Amino acid sequence: MAEIVLRSVCFDYSSAVPVFREPGITLSLPQAAIALVGENGAGKTTLTKLLNGLLRPRAGSVVVAGTPVAERSVAQMAPVIGYAFQNPDDQLFERTVRDEVAFGPRVMGRPKETVQAAVDRALDLCGLAGQASTHPHDLVLAERKWVTIASALAADPPVVILDEPTLGQDWAGRERLHALVRALGGQGRLVLVVTHDIDFVAQACDWTVVLSRGLVRYSGKTALAFADEGRIEEAGLELPAATRLARALGADPAPVGDEAFTAWYRVQPA
Amino acid sequence: MALTPSVTLAGARYRYPDTERDALGPIDLTVLPGEWVGVVGPTNAGKSTLCYAIIGLAPQFFGGRLRGEVSVFGSPTASQPVNERSRRAGLLFQNPFTQLSGARERVDEEVAFGPEAHGLPQAEVEERVAEALRLTGLQDLRARHPLDLSGGQLQRLALAALLAMRPELLLLDEPTSQLDPAGSRALFDVLRGLHAAGTTIVMVEHRLEAVAALCPRVIALGEGRVLADGAPAEVFNRPEVQASAGMPAFARLAALVGKGPPLPVTFEAAVEALRG
Repeated sequence: MAEIVLRSVCFDYSSAVPVFREPGITLSLPQAAIALVGENGAGKTTLTKLLNGLLRPRAGSVVVAGTPVAERSVAQMAPVIGYAFQNPDDQLFERTVRDEVAFGPRVMGRPKETVQAAVDRALDLCGLAGQASTHPHDLVLAERKWVTIASALAADPPVVILDEPTLGQDWAGRERLHALVRALGGQGRLVLVVTHDIDFVAQACDWTVVLSRGLVRYSGKTALAFADEGRIEEAGLELPAATRLARALGADPAPVGDEAFTAWYRVQPA
Repeated sequence: MALTPSVTLAGARYRYPDTERDALGPIDLTVLPGEWVGVVGPTNAGKSTLCYAIIGLAPQFFGGRLRGEVSVFGSPTASQPVNERSRRAGLLFQNPFTQLSGARERVDEEVAFGPEAHGLPQAEVEERVAEALRLTGLQDLRARHPLDLSGGQLQRLALAALLAMRPELLLLDEPTSQLDPAGSRALFDVLRGLHAAGTTIVMVEHRLEAVAALCPRVIALGEGRVLADGAPAEVFNRPEVQASAGMPAFARLAALVGKGPPLPVTFEAAVEALRG
C-alpha cells in the first residue's frame, strides 16, 4: 500500500513565487527509504511541508498513512509524521537535548514512562546518549541536526521526513545516518530523505524521486534513477561516485551503490 | 624578501567561554598568499573554530580565551578590529542564515551591504554587486527577499555578499553543504578562478573527493590539532586520517576491490588504478 499519495497538488508561495503549477504533482510513495533529490529551489522542502500540513495546497489532495492531510491540523499530523527541519535552528527551543526530543511525545499526552523509553531509544539511535543534559545551542551544527532527527523519531511515527540530514555530517555521522535510514526503511516505515548527497542516495535509499523545476521527473528504484544522463543533468544532479567510475571503466548499464560496484568489478576480465 | 604569510598560527590555543578544554590547539600553521588549503576532520575537530580564530571572531565575538599567536597578513588578530580585517579577509559561515545582515529586503541590496558599509563609491558598489551576482548565478533572483530563498540559494547569496568585498583571503566553512551538485560545480569553478587570480583560500569541506581534486594542500584536524598536512594523495592515505576524517569516495571504492595502498584519491587516479 502506498504510504504517501499526492493527487494534482498545486502550490504557490505567491503569484511571484509559483512552485507546483497545473496540472500539479501526482505521486505515490511506498514504505521504504526514499530519496528526494533535485536542484536548489526545485520545490523539495515545499513538497515535504505539504505532507504534514505546514503548507496547504491551492488545489489537489495529500493522503499520508491513510490520513487526508486537509482534514488535520499540523499538531494532529505529528503522531503520523516526524519531521526534521533543514535548519535545526528553526526547530530547537528547549533547554536540554532530552527535553527537546521529549517535546513531541509529551504534548501528545503519552504516559511518562513511554516518553522516557522512546526518548532514550531515539537519543541512542542518534548518538546523543552522552549529551542528554546539554543545551542544544552548545552543540555544533552536525550535532544539532542529530537532535532534530531524534525529535522526529521520538513519537515513533510511520512516516519520517529528514530534510538535508547529511548537512555538516562527518564520515562517521554519514555512516550512522546510512544505517539509521536503512533500518527505518526495513521496519516498514517510509523515510523520506531530502538531500544533495548523491552518494548517500546510492548507498542508503531503495527509491528515488527526482524533482526539477516543480515537476516530478522520476519516481522509482534508485538502481535505475541514474540511467538517463540528460535527466540527471537537467535536475542539477551528478552520478554517484561508483556509477561514474564504473562508466569510465566501460560498464553499461553502470552499477549503483558500493555493493553493486564491487559485484560488477569482480566479474570484469582482467 | 620573504612573503608575508596570509595566515600564521604559532602555539595558538582557543577555549570557548564556560568550557573545560581547548577547542583548538596548540596549533602551528602558516598559509602563504595564493595557497588553496582544504581543511578536513570529524565533527568537533576544531574546523569552524579555526576559521573563527583566523577571522578574529574567536575571541572578539564569542569571548573565551585565545593564547599564542594568530596573525592575518602579519597583523595579530587580537589587536585588529574585525571590521578592519573584513576589507581583506572574509568568512563564509557554515549556516548561511548567520551571514544575512537582516537589514536588507532584496538580494542585490544584501550583496551591496558590505561594500556600502565600507563607504565605497556608488558606481563601484554597483559594479561589484553585478559581478558577485553573476559569479554566483543569482542575477534572476536579485529582486527576491532574502528570506524567500531556498537553503541553497541562501548559501549562494552569502557567498555573493562575501565576494562583493573582493577579499584577498577567503575562509569557507562548508561552502557547498546546501548546494545541489551543479551548484557545487559552479561554485568550485568560481573558486578555481579566484585561486588563479591569486586569492588565498582556506576551505573546510566534508566532500573529500572535492578536496582531493581541488586543493593542492590538505590539513586534517583532530581534537583541535593538526593530524596531517600535505598533498591530498599523501594525507588521505594516512591511516589516522582515514580513521577520523574518512576517505574520498574513489579511494573507498578502490579499497573495496582490493587496490592499494597507496589508494587513488581522485577520479582520474582511480580510473587509472582500476584499469591496471
